[in-house]
Amino acid sequence: MSHRRALLPLVLVMAGCSSTGMPPPSPTGPAPATMSPVPPMPSTSLPPAPVPTPAPAETVPADGPPAAQLAAEGGDPVTGQLGTYVWGDGGSDSPWLPGASLAVGAGEPLTVTFRSSAAVATWRARSVPSTADGPAGASVLGEGAGSPTFGAPAAGSWTVEVHVVFDGGVGDASYFWRLEVT
Amino acid sequence: MIELRRRSSILSAAIFLTASVALSGAGPTAAHSPDPSLSGGLFGQDQRLPFRWRSGSEPPAAIKTAIRAAADDSNASRASQAATFVYDSAGSNLIGYGTGTCGVNGIGCFTRTAPTGFTMWLREHGRPFDWGTLRWCQMQSVPTNGCYDAETIALDEFGHVEVLNHHVNFADESDYTDAVVQTFSRTRPKTGWDMHVYGPCDSATLQIRYDVPTLSSPYSPCLDLATVLTLSISDTSIAYGALVDITAYLKVTTNTAYGRLSANPIGKKTVRLQRRAIGSTTWTNLVTLSSSATAGTYVASLRLYATADLRALFSAPTNEGLRGDTSPTVRVTVAPCTAGCPQP
Repeated sequence: MSHRRALLPLVLVMAGCSSTGMPPPSPTGPAPATMSPVPPMPSTSLPPAPVPTPAPAETVPADGPPAAQLAAEGGDPVTGQLGTYVWGDGGSDSPWLPGASLAVGAGEPLTVTFRSSAAVATWRARSVPSTADGPAGASVLGEGAGSPTFGAPAAGSWTVEVHVVFDGGVGDASYFWRLEVT
Repeated sequence: MIELRRRSSILSAAIFLTASVALSGAGPTAAHSPDPSLSGGLFGQDQRLPFRWRSGSEPPAAIKTAIRAAADDSNASRASQAATFVYDSAGSNLIGYGTGTCGVNGIGCFTRTAPTGFTMWLREHGRPFDWGTLRWCQMQSVPTNGCYDAETIALDEFGHVEVLNHHVNFADESDYTDAVVQTFSRTRPKTGWDMHVYGPCDSATLQIRYDVPTLSSPYSPCLDLATVLTLSISDTSIAYGALVDITAYLKVTTNTAYGRLSANPIGKKTVRLQRRAIGSTTWTNLVTLSSSATAGTYVASLRLYATADLRALFSAPTNEGLRGDTSPTVRVTVAPCTAGCPQP
């Protein structure tokens, strides 16, 4: 069995896992028993898109990118929202996310830690005003190799994306926080 | 844009190849360079990948149409020998729609087990996420701003299946439309929200990994490949007015960073023969060489009436990722006229 094949079950779990706990898509396997076709929803039945609200914390796919936590020195860590990622032989595409809320002081050193032994190859942290819905014009807060550490931006409300490339060729992922900086 | 490409591309090509071997690596890749590569293997050149709808999780008709269109988009714009996607009710590659996949926030996802197969999944219209409610434009009778184009997202996923990782944009995202395989896809009506062809930096990587369709095909302008041009002449010491055969050969430089494009003969381009009189420093165009049936080879037959230096010239095309090159100079010595002396 090749290394790639050996990764397949792991990848499938990653790509399909969600907070619902449903199984993932599989190239050859049967459809998940709990899944059913979703009928088209007429646009008129949809309410207007809600204003995104930051989630305090969330789960991450099992065997996918590890959960990432951001903390100021001495502060409680906050788990970031997992956005777009590639992991093993699969991946998921997400929108630019509002981020998990965290209050910090301007310029305060912030550190990202991971709930696994996954080592970081490279990382980049960037910020946009929290009203932005994408990365255009983002300011780079820091980048480098190893454990991500960077300074909080100036006072204001910001969405911070930390993009991490993990060591050993396992994948990369974007994590989001909403910083309320005073 | 061209100048930026040329400054960064050698490095980026090298980085790309490193990333393609090492893995995903969106991190260090320079902006406006070919998309990084995913880990894992490749599909066969032009491998046919038949797909069908996942039983019990079939997309609604409008999404099926969008996914099929995206498969056609991929096939039509791959500009390479990348795999092709075809709907087949007996296909082994499953595409599903609905709940339970793609992680907590994902709207689309994939798995790839090259060269065996792939899966794809799109989340359901109307799904409330932390970031808002997912709306597919195709599911709306009148698309509203903020909706996602399912055809574009499916094309993004097909690109992943091929081998593409997310393009690394400039900070201001001014190069967003250089790739459809994006970390953050855009919604209507932002520029690039409804891209239905691969961008040049998508096809650049597909060309590096899967090769160009033919040796005369255009090279993606997101590439910046060095070329080598050589010149040979049938006889470099001839009688006055004698006929000589000119042969130039153009190829991509041998470079492992160029992947399958390395050392490719380059056909159907414009290669000129230039002449410089002895004692002069000025080169003048003599003739445009004809592209021969042998890829990369350009030929002409000329009568020469005076000793001169000759060289071949390949000017960088403005719409392709090839650098220009000039061949080494070849001097052809022409003997003085002894009788008759026909004029050129």
